[in-house]
Amino acid sequence: MSEQISALMDEEIAVEDAAHLISSMQSSKQSADAWSQYNLIGDVMRGNQLLSKDFKQNLMLKLDQEPTVLAPKSAQSNAEKVAGLKDKLPAKWSIAASVAAVMVVGWMAMHQVQSENEAPAIEMAQADVVEQAIPNEYMAAHQSSAPSATSYYIQSVSYAE
Amino acid sequence: MKHFVLAGSFASASLIAALLTSFNVWSSEQDSWQVLQKAAIAARALSYKGVFVCQSAKQIKSVEITHLYDGQHEFARNVVLDGAPREVLNQSGNVVIYNPRNGKIVIEKRRAQNMFPAILPTDLNSIKASYSLRSGEIERIAGRTAQMLVLEPKDNLRYSYRFWIDTEYGLLLKSVMFNNRNETLESIGFNQLALMNTVELDWFKPKIDHNKSYVMEQEQELIADAGSPIDWEIKALPPGYRKVDQMMRKVQGKSGPVTHVIFSDGLAFVSLFIEHVAKPTKEKPTPKNVLTTTGNTSFYANVNSGHLVTVMGDVPEATVVQIANAVVFKK
Repeated sequence: MSEQISALMDEEIAVEDAAHLISSMQSSKQSADAWSQYNLIGDVMRGNQLLSKDFKQNLMLKLDQEPTVLAPKSAQSNAEKVAGLKDKLPAKWSIAASVAAVMVVGWMAMHQVQSENEAPAIEMAQADVVEQAIPNEYMAAHQSSAPSATSYYIQSVSYAE
Repeated sequence: MKHFVLAGSFASASLIAALLTSFNVWSSEQDSWQVLQKAAIAARALSYKGVFVCQSAKQIKSVEITHLYDGQHEFARNVVLDGAPREVLNQSGNVVIYNPRNGKIVIEKRRAQNMFPAILPTDLNSIKASYSLRSGEIERIAGRTAQMLVLEPKDNLRYSYRFWIDTEYGLLLKSVMFNNRNETLESIGFNQLALMNTVELDWFKPKIDHNKSYVMEQEQELIADAGSPIDWEIKALPPGYRKVDQMMRKVQGKSGPVTHVIFSDGLAFVSLFIEHVAKPTKEKPTPKNVLTTTGNTSFYANVNSGHLVTVMGDVPEATVVQIANAVVFKK
């Protein structure tokens, strides 16, 4: 079980093949313990010297050599298409630098499997009349790929709350 | 004879003075660019913690920033303190946004390109080509002493900026963008700041709300398409702007994928969207051309050879129109 969780983290098991693992993980205490083990590993990698220096170096080296795509492959995605496009996609996630953030996102990605049927539609609001002058769909696309310094925090596109 | 000597020495003295003055002007502009260069690097290479305030035409939000550089990688966590607790985590340019929306937390992945205070590119050459720089007063920002710099465009195709740079740390403390009528468009600046002396990363994680479900944003980008366009090309871009990215993406409410091209002059970013439009019918006539400005953002849409061409960005209207007109469709 622990090995499976580890494999899941390393993407050796596709998330869609691991539904049983995820659901049992949520119930089983052993799995929850395994999960905290991985968080402990995170602590170690952040510099708490609980293991030998070589362990950390070796692990970091291995992780460095293996860039990991963080987001799980969508269950619906066409495997061939994804494979063909993957090399062109930018910004792959390396988990070497910070296990902490990766853990959290990984955990969330698992939760996503539960709620994948209610995937988020981009809900546009009618809140702001003036902002409607520029169609929200273009504003959203522009800000997601070419954000200004303030648009990370202030969204001109208003979403229904 | 004496007069002649005096006149001669006076002449050479004024020549030297004139040379010195022009050298001073030149060297002071060079110095200002050096200060700006240092600020571009300091934002990435220093470790610091503080609160900054960003202000657009309509809203003001305070953001708590923790930024760490461990010698190889950059980590930053930005937490919006007002309203919804949006968090923006940046790890060496890979950004994950935890965006509370409709009772859920939507996880959005982005690439960082101009996250405050790292709004300047480390290579300033493109900015030097389109803007001139002069130094202003020494002012006090966030309890720190700051050198003000004024960055002005050489033409009317971009906005101007004022930067306040910490005289000790070299860090950008505040940035304000002005339009051509010298009205403030947006402002972003620290109101408190301290350097951090740590390599701990225990803070680099979002605060999890266990009562909310976390969902990944739907993938909008389909293909990072760097290939040459098939039925259109871009000619005669406005000076200083160059293509920085191109992709096919989904746009909400559009049936087919839309080509999205991004241009930048180093500071301003402009998006170009190209999509096919159906042949006009009585029920659905050809869309009208639209030119509008909302806040900082200029928007222009027109129909060209059976395509809808849409351009928008934080630039003057002239720029979006010129970029739209630079798109030429092959017959």
